[in-house]
Amino acid sequence: MINSKAELDVPQSPPVIPGFENINRYWDKKLKVHAAKLMPGELYVSMHGEMVVTVLGSCVAACIRDKVKGIGGMNHFMLPQETENSQNFAGTAHDVETRYGNWAMESLINEVLKRGGRRGYLEVKLFGGGKVMENMSDVGERNIDFVRRFLVEEGLKIVAEDLGGLRPRKILYFSDTGACRVRRLNQVVNNTVFSREKEYAKKVAGPATDGSIELF
Amino acid sequence: MSKILAVDDSASMRQMVAFTLKGGGFDVVEACDGVEALALAKQHKCDLVLADVNMPNMDGITLTRELRTLNDYKYTPILVLTTESGTDRKTEGKKAGATGWIVKPFNPDQLLNTIKKVME
Repeated sequence: MINSKAELDVPQSPPVIPGFENINRYWDKKLKVHAAKLMPGELYVSMHGEMVVTVLGSCVAACIRDKVKGIGGMNHFMLPQETENSQNFAGTAHDVETRYGNWAMESLINEVLKRGGRRGYLEVKLFGGGKVMENMSDVGERNIDFVRRFLVEEGLKIVAEDLGGLRPRKILYFSDTGACRVRRLNQVVNNTVFSREKEYAKKVAGPATDGSIELF
Repeated sequence: MSKILAVDDSASMRQMVAFTLKGGGFDVVEACDGVEALALAKQHKCDLVLADVNMPNMDGITLTRELRTLNDYKYTPILVLTTESGTDRKTEGKKAGATGWIVKPFNPDQLLNTIKKVME
């Protein structure tokens, strides 16, 4: 079979950091850049300036990079919906409900540091947390509260943010320069955003699908 | 009351772990990296060590190795609590003398049960 010219023009993707093999990576023809697209619950870090893309409803994405070395990435997460039994995590330290958020934030930071990033050089940008789902408590606001609190505790400053509001967003983040583009989306045409987030919401609310325990 | 040394460079994670452990009836000593943990381990006789892997100054695997050279910590349970799920790091941890490997995000009940189990 003969490949078309267009296919031959697609440059080879830069090497992927182990652990991120499952992330959907592609060549963005329009912007002529390697890209990685995140679904709810995923995260991605690049050492090669890849663009990280995601679409956010009430989920939050933190974009974190070492601004000196240009190693950076993004996560995409939400906390479970508040229930009658929920403790107020803002008041009573940390309960079960923040664990996915904590995991998403810690994993992203660790991954950047492991690739040679330095804590003192970290630059944080935040997006999402919209109130976009009908018939749902304001989980977006909860996500925003959580991530702000997390960053204060970690002593990390937010250099840019676009949070809250009523419309979903598409985020393009350039992991080396830290540049980002935010596009507000029309709610009506973007049902996939909601269905994906609802699917993910079920997962975080359900019984712990947590990490493994192995005793040696 | 049994004393647990909790080691993590992330302040949020330390808080969350300490909150869980205190809720489980344990006394908690907190350290932000391996170096601090090693110093605290010599001051306090801890009954269990719960350590993260990726930390500045001294990582959790080196800490485990160092603790095993101390008489007081030859047989003390050392659990690693980490975002690392790769087998390479896990094998390193095992070689260093860790008792077990817990991958985050952790379930508080499971964590407490595991701790009780290895302290028996």
